[in-house]
Amino acid sequence: MLERSPRQLAEFLYLLARQELKARYRGRFLGYLWAVGHTFALAFVYWIAFKLIMQLDAPNYSVYLVTGMFPWAWMTVASIRAARSYVANAPLVREMGVAHGILPLSNVVAEMLHFILALPLIIAWVVLAGGHDPSIAWLWQIPVMLALQVAFVYPIALACALANVYIRDIEPMLGVAFSLLFFATPMVYPLSIVPEPLHHWFELSPFHALMDSWRTVFIAGTLDLAHATYAAAISVVTGALAWALYRALSPRVGETV
Amino acid sequence: MTHVVSCEGIWKSYERHRAVGLKSLLVGAETPRSDTRFAREWALSEVSLRVPRGQAYGVIGPNGSGKTTLLSILLGTVRADRGRLSLDGRVGSLLELGAGFHGDLSGRENVFLYGSILGMRVAEIRRRFDAIAEFSELDSAIEQPLRTYSAGMKARLGFSIIIRSQADILLIDEVLAVGDTRFQAKCRLALREFRARGGTLIIVSHDMKELAEVCDEGLCLDLGRVVDAGPIAGVIARYGERMEGARSRA
Repeated sequence: MLERSPRQLAEFLYLLARQELKARYRGRFLGYLWAVGHTFALAFVYWIAFKLIMQLDAPNYSVYLVTGMFPWAWMTVASIRAARSYVANAPLVREMGVAHGILPLSNVVAEMLHFILALPLIIAWVVLAGGHDPSIAWLWQIPVMLALQVAFVYPIALACALANVYIRDIEPMLGVAFSLLFFATPMVYPLSIVPEPLHHWFELSPFHALMDSWRTVFIAGTLDLAHATYAAAISVVTGALAWALYRALSPRVGETV
Repeated sequence: MTHVVSCEGIWKSYERHRAVGLKSLLVGAETPRSDTRFAREWALSEVSLRVPRGQAYGVIGPNGSGKTTLLSILLGTVRADRGRLSLDGRVGSLLELGAGFHGDLSGRENVFLYGSILGMRVAEIRRRFDAIAEFSELDSAIEQPLRTYSAGMKARLGFSIIIRSQADILLIDEVLAVGDTRFQAKCRLALREFRARGGTLIIVSHDMKELAEVCDEGLCLDLGRVVDAGPIAGVIARYGERMEGARSRA
């Protein structure tokens, strides 16, 4: 049997994530700019629609958009790519055996690396366009948030990848599901414009908790403990569920994919 | 004699685990049940084999007889429904041409990726890289993206990686046929050296000449059952007669 130590798996994860990013950027700096520019362009579109045309009452709206949309893009892109990861790498899954849970994780890590590469631009936007001071606390807050987001996204990515092996329609449905979720979460509008009686429903959303934690870190330089803890607690639950799903399905994945 | 590879009474069915779509969930999937060559209930039934250390073992049989399924079960990527299985040592495999290879990465990067898939450490791959590149004879093409490679070049790269890895057991499925004659001869020589070092080889092929030359023993599968086993020359001869008989009946 294949013997895999944690060190060997970590190296394998790194190679897979690097391959993913390389394929995405095609080894060019311009490729990186395109990938980062896409999220900025999307933020610009929302800015035109909501701020310029609909006159949304939200202070520092462009910073609000940018600081939320990058972690959101990380989550959605990683999950959608993960959903494809088994099916698209079928020969690899067949050849590598039991350790294939590393495949969707490599999507999450690749998108994290992409997010980290975009950080200087996000921070530049927060400081230059938003007029916020850079915070020394970011040095620990951002790594904590990175870890939290990996813990939050990986169970989703793993579940998508496994489910898509058995139900191929998952992948096309994900895009629609994430769009719905995007507008159901305060991403392009602040929670303050939502009618008061609905607030507690929005506060129940772990997606809101996670994304708002990111925004608070970037904009206020503080880690919103209530939101972060809630997102972490949800990650533990979804993590356990995804693990159970993985245990149940993984032996058959190689032959089904 | 110690057997490094042994399996006993392996049964495998693919019937119950098929990917479904929204349509089949809603409308209900039809389950074809027939005992034809490619759509029978048991992909493998009651398959047993034992391979001692240093032996080369050939698996033959018509298309759809379960050869690749057997190798996948030995590799551990497909789980048998019943039966006992034991492999003693590190396994290297070359099951599908280009499996685990990534078209956008260079040959060099693919060596690292594939080595990692096989369970090797990066430091180990780095140490062996020159030997792998040399064996492949790809020269400067090893820096080119894999999508520019021909099937023969991919086979060279794949074979070079597994033959220069630290595997004790090699599982090879039908991939040597794409190399040119000279490279095939080189592979056969390398496999002989591999066995001389105590390596064990299980090989699936339709090239009877190659099997006769490389293997000591073997088995013949048909419809998922072992219909013949023993010294390879006899197995090949009887397989030829069986195929001949099938043709004259048809």
